[in-house]
Amino acid sequence: MSRVLVAMSGGVDSSLAAALLAEAGHEVVGVTMKTFCYSETKAHSNTCCGLDGIADAKRVAAAIGIPHYVFDVEEAFTRDVIDDFVSEYAQGRTPNPCVRCNGNTKFRDLMARGRALGCDLIASGHYARVRHDSGGSAILRGADRAKDQAYFLWGLPADLVPRLLFPLGELTKEQVRAHARLLGLVTADKPESQEICFVPTGDYRDLLRRRLGAHPALEPGAIVRLDGEVVGEHDGYAGFTVGQRKGLGGGSSEPLFVLEIRPETRAVVVGRREELLRDEVVVGELNWLDDPPRPGSRVDVQLRYRAPTAQATVRTVEEGLTLVLDEPRPAVTPGQSAVVFAADRLRGGGRIERAGSAMREAAATK
Amino acid sequence: MEPIYLDYAATTPVRDEVRAAMAPYLTETFGNASSIHRWGRAAGDALQQARARVAAALGAEPSEVRFVRGGTESDNLALLGWRRAVAADGALPTLAVSAVEHHAVLDAATSTVEDGTARVDVIDVSPEGELDTDRLRHSLASGPALASIMWVNNETGMVLPVAGVVELAGEAGAAVHSDAAQAIGKVPVDLRRVSVDLLSATGHKIYGPKGTGLLFVREGTLLAPLLHGGGQERGLRPGTEDVAGAVGLATAIELAVEELQEEAARLTELRKRLQTALLSTIEGIRVHACGAERAPHVLSVGIEGLPDGSALLMALDLEGVAVSGGSACMSGATKASHVMLALYGPDDARATVRYSLGRGSTASDVDRAARATAEVVERMRAA
Repeated sequence: MSRVLVAMSGGVDSSLAAALLAEAGHEVVGVTMKTFCYSETKAHSNTCCGLDGIADAKRVAAAIGIPHYVFDVEEAFTRDVIDDFVSEYAQGRTPNPCVRCNGNTKFRDLMARGRALGCDLIASGHYARVRHDSGGSAILRGADRAKDQAYFLWGLPADLVPRLLFPLGELTKEQVRAHARLLGLVTADKPESQEICFVPTGDYRDLLRRRLGAHPALEPGAIVRLDGEVVGEHDGYAGFTVGQRKGLGGGSSEPLFVLEIRPETRAVVVGRREELLRDEVVVGELNWLDDPPRPGSRVDVQLRYRAPTAQATVRTVEEGLTLVLDEPRPAVTPGQSAVVFAADRLRGGGRIERAGSAMREAAATK
Repeated sequence: MEPIYLDYAATTPVRDEVRAAMAPYLTETFGNASSIHRWGRAAGDALQQARARVAAALGAEPSEVRFVRGGTESDNLALLGWRRAVAADGALPTLAVSAVEHHAVLDAATSTVEDGTARVDVIDVSPEGELDTDRLRHSLASGPALASIMWVNNETGMVLPVAGVVELAGEAGAAVHSDAAQAIGKVPVDLRRVSVDLLSATGHKIYGPKGTGLLFVREGTLLAPLLHGGGQERGLRPGTEDVAGAVGLATAIELAVEELQEEAARLTELRKRLQTALLSTIEGIRVHACGAERAPHVLSVGIEGLPDGSALLMALDLEGVAVSGGSACMSGATKASHVMLALYGPDDARATVRYSLGRGSTASDVDRAARATAEVVERMRAA
């Protein structure tokens, strides 16, 4: 059997992934990534990657009899994930740090150090499947559709896919917990991590304040309608994301949503739900796990984690990916991912640069 | 294949003689050494015998040996206790420490800068083991001063010129502390010949129990306690005495000193064998502190073309070879060592491996370790 490097966060999923690989007879090497300076933050016990996470991962590794190491990736993580997170919010966009970490930091580091450690295979506790056959290797959605995490993996280096293993891909969360309990893993009943690992308090604006200092993104600005009518004031556009429902007291009886953030004027534009719909998506920073789609071809695209897949036609690829959605979708948000699938197979993706509306433009020219 | 332990400078197993000597003091002779009754007297007697044995092995008086709870505590007590004792004079005292000291010394010194209770000078050391004596002389010249220069550097095995420091400090009227944790049993440490004022040692580097240590305090040296409580250890280290630990430490030191000549010769041969094997099979490898006098048990090498030193240690572990980079650190993650920075500068991108030999080490161990290193380095360079 081959030597497998498994990323262990100290949570139940990666704990069981490691245990299953060991059960299957692989020579398993557990690693936990140390991603940021823990002394900077106080309350960190509920996030997956804190020092407690390292301690839990070590306990699990010892219990299943595998070596465990800590990879210090703090420098790369700060540069590629935290700095990017802050800069995206400063530009009025909504970043996806977990996607960024998987694509830029975590799996690239696992691949490089895995080679150094003589590990042929790289594994993690993601709810996704990977298929290796004569046609090559591909990442597929996890069998548990409620937990499926293929969305987070579009940024992985394509040459890593043939060496990937996702031991939990066929399992549901319930099955994972049950099996972890059966094996007596100390992490079996550990609660899910909900927060971003480097924002353990859940208040990302606090992080922005510390990193940005005085910045327009954190200063008051106007809340406006599309026609320019000012309907209120906000305390910094970095606190908003497109699609967020903005309950405005007084003036308006209808529910309003954030349509757009305009950093140049610090305005947060709000409107009715139907004004939120977009059917054209421009995507940058592309990464393909197989051949890029051709212009004119049909693809499935997922625009938010847990959002249903949308059908789309590829308009352009070379000069930047532009997708035209069959049906307009709400809350297509700059900074979030556009993840391209062919049915269950993950093909790649990119970051949403902007979203347009053919319908709205048509209406405007009428 | 059995894994190979080549990390004796990190810690050692307790040897049988030590465990046997300690055993009675964990059970039947369990008394509090300060108690009046027979249980207390038996424990107190064992403690004083242990003290006398340590003193004899190091060339000290029994009254100059204080038992403490480890090397780190001993270093802290030496630096901070001296600083406390001289602070009463009013003049800001100076701590002159070498750049390659253990963190127990460096960080204790730094803490005095942070709270404004002392001035700290860090004295450069060359890869040949030479101290910047001009700087040291200058540093010790004004006001009360303590030089803290380790006897043997833990990361490289380099022997530092402690006798020279004593001479130089004597001219300036300054005191000298030396951390001898890696020196006892490896090189001669005779306090009658090298008259440092304070000396730290620990049990677990010489097949004694962890959590045991001593501070030698030469008669007349200024020192104040850091902890307060009972008056144990002449008031310098209050707390109920660890009699079993003291007996274990004394036995370990006695044996280490007794066996020094023979064991040092054996380890020197093994170290040469390992060094030859590594140099002949790996390109771009350097022996650290090569031009310095080195203790027999440590071989530290720097290997070019490997951006990630910690991965090298992990890869060696997976091949069954247990070694270190520099000092071990809390979370297990590794960073560039302050010793390598001090000796070779910040632009020296090499992966460091420290092999350290001990009683269990054999020729076949070092041969296998050298082979495994060559294989892993080749693989990592190809990756």
